[in-house]
Amino acid sequence: MVAAWLLWQTSVPDGLVLPKVDSAVGVDRQVLDDAEDYERFLRWTFVASQLAALVVLVLYAWRGARLTRESAAGRIGTGMLLGMLGLAFVWLSQLPFELLELWWQRRHGLWRSGYLEWFFETWLSLGAEFLFVCAFLLTTMALAAVLRKTWWLAAAPVFVGLALLFAFIYPYLVDGRPAPQDLRRDAVVFAHRQHMEPVKVEVEDWSDFTTIPNAYATGVGPSRRIFLWDTLLDGRFDRRELRVVLAHELGHHSRNHIWKSVAWYALVLLPLLGGVAWLTSRRGGIYAPRAVPLALLAVLVGGLFLQPLDNAFSRRHEAEADWVALETTRDPVAARRLFRAFTRDALEDPTPPGWAYAALATHPSVEERIAMATAWERRQTGR
Amino acid sequence: MTDHPVRLTVDDDLRRSRLTVLFRLILLIPHALWWWGWSIVAFLVAIVNWVVTLIRGRPPAGLYTFLASYVRYTTHLFAYAYLAANPWPMFTGRPGYPVDLEIDEPVPQRRWTVALRLLIAIPALLLAAAFAGSGPGAWSESDHRGAALTWAGGTLLTVAFFGWFVSLARGRMPQGFRDLQAYGLRFLAQTGAYLLVLTDRYPDVNPAATPAVGVPHPVSLAIEDDLRRSRLTVFFRLLLALPHFVWLFLWWVVAFLAAIAMWFAALVIGRPPAGLHRFLSAFLRYATHVYAFVMLTANPFPGFTGRAGSYPIDPRFPPPERQRRLVTGFRLFLAIPALAVSGALGGLLFICALLGWFASLALGRMPTTLREAQTYALRYSTQVSAYLLILTERYPHSGPIRVESAS
Repeated sequence: MVAAWLLWQTSVPDGLVLPKVDSAVGVDRQVLDDAEDYERFLRWTFVASQLAALVVLVLYAWRGARLTRESAAGRIGTGMLLGMLGLAFVWLSQLPFELLELWWQRRHGLWRSGYLEWFFETWLSLGAEFLFVCAFLLTTMALAAVLRKTWWLAAAPVFVGLALLFAFIYPYLVDGRPAPQDLRRDAVVFAHRQHMEPVKVEVEDWSDFTTIPNAYATGVGPSRRIFLWDTLLDGRFDRRELRVVLAHELGHHSRNHIWKSVAWYALVLLPLLGGVAWLTSRRGGIYAPRAVPLALLAVLVGGLFLQPLDNAFSRRHEAEADWVALETTRDPVAARRLFRAFTRDALEDPTPPGWAYAALATHPSVEERIAMATAWERRQTGR
Repeated sequence: MTDHPVRLTVDDDLRRSRLTVLFRLILLIPHALWWWGWSIVAFLVAIVNWVVTLIRGRPPAGLYTFLASYVRYTTHLFAYAYLAANPWPMFTGRPGYPVDLEIDEPVPQRRWTVALRLLIAIPALLLAAAFAGSGPGAWSESDHRGAALTWAGGTLLTVAFFGWFVSLARGRMPQGFRDLQAYGLRFLAQTGAYLLVLTDRYPDVNPAATPAVGVPHPVSLAIEDDLRRSRLTVFFRLLLALPHFVWLFLWWVVAFLAAIAMWFAALVIGRPPAGLHRFLSAFLRYATHVYAFVMLTANPFPGFTGRAGSYPIDPRFPPPERQRRLVTGFRLFLAIPALAVSGALGGLLFICALLGWFASLALGRMPTTLREAQTYALRYSTQVSAYLLILTERYPHSGPIRVESAS
């Protein structure tokens, strides 16, 4: 609990009151309606897809153990097969919803890739998921052979180590190119203002697939990077807005958000794995392959329960990065323009309903972000 | 099941005249011209035969005899061209050639199969491509580096290419090579007869139906597969094999180093060391399990250890025994023809897997003929690998007769 409380703390001033703002200012009414309409559809598709996944995994937990007959691979290999088949069922159940989402995004001009290309990509990503679940089951089932019921205590540090390793190597896997020189110069200045070593800024090409603007900070230690999607550099955003984006992403690095996210992952993982161990104990624990379908169900249900908490944690970080960006650029006008552009260019609903905000939002709402820029401005002017 | 109405007979003593082998391509020229002319006429006659058979339900005797002679002549010609037989063939397609066809009298055919013949023949044509592909020496333009030699598959041309050198050197065609050619020619003849509406019996790719001499080999496959296939794992087969690909790659890296050590050790002490022999046998057994799984030759998800007897398609290897140092020293060089033939048979394995994927999804079982063709190709590939890894000194036998236990 102490660790969670410490991780929860940010540099956003305590007691900062966000003023009432009108997120519709400067945004066309039609765009606001479109954004609301667009996100409503995606929200309900998400709910339906989660329900479908849940139903599929409940059925799989009930009947999936019989698929052990399709394996000649011994205990762990059979567990891997059952894990992969479980994901295959979930993938099949998600296909119609993902297809609907793609259709919806294409209809709104936010996504450009074709249906065949999309299918191929989801097929490949299923392959990656298969490898992931195999690594997960190999670790847990091997540990269960040695430690029996307490495997989860040893598995958690292993997975945290893997998460850290992935965080480190991920930037090297991205096919980026150097950002324009003026942005790189800004990044050096901002890094100095945020009391940190300069971080590489690269551009990732996404404009063939989407029009949605995006950027992210990734990597730890020497692999720290900021990636800007080239959709940010297509002329829709001016230099001042791009500087806010840069300062925001640098804020993630200067406030050690990647490290904190890994630490948060460790905190969340331990009870989640403990829950899996407890639930599967009736079927011989994760040691036995026939417990794997139930373990998959437990992970999905646990993930669903933990998602609002994860989202809240993520929103804390994003809010802090916004605050750091305002402190760095001292340009609330550009920040507000940028946040409004998210509604204009990515159809983000500025005021999502409470349940969707809790269940889905990893960032503060557009309205909250605009309000924070205004709050920062008022603190500076003493109003 | 009754015999196929189009059967290949082989009465060849394997002897080859070095002179005619040397000039075989040139000697083929008159036959090639004649065959092209006959092919044009046969094409037109086949259309008439198709229409009449569709109306009457059986091919007319005159047209049938003409087309049967054409198929027989083509088989003679191909047997000569691909070194499956020695004497220069007749131009008439009359029976009596060492590699010959027995074709039954015309019988009634189901009209719907006649009507849809071209469409139904697609799988057989794909399989025929595995036998009659362009083989080695096909040059293709790569992006920046000019021409590059590619291997386009095709057992007939691949075997003929290497068989030409062997026949020139020894005056004999190797038994395995000749039998493999007979297998390909039989399938092509049956496909031709099917396309020309001489029969409505589908071409049979099962290698066991080929007249060939079985030669026992110390590397064999034990088959315990019941042909049942899980539709679910068939649908996701390639993705399910991903962890095996990763593991196989890691194992391959170690096996590669072990194989080098094995080569040196066998050169020095004249026999493979037991430990390395055991390790490389396990590696090869595991690789065969994985290929069998990926290619749908077997159903269950394989284990990761290559344990003997743990999979329905299971290779058997001989114990370590003395090997001639000269053969060991030049092993890589000597293996080149076998590697090429294995590559060509890989095409057959893949096409069978492709067709078997659809068949298994539809039927929940793998057709016997496809599985048999696959086990044959897998067995040969395993023998080639075992030869390369110095697990055995015996050269791979490419003949299609199965000597392992039946399912």
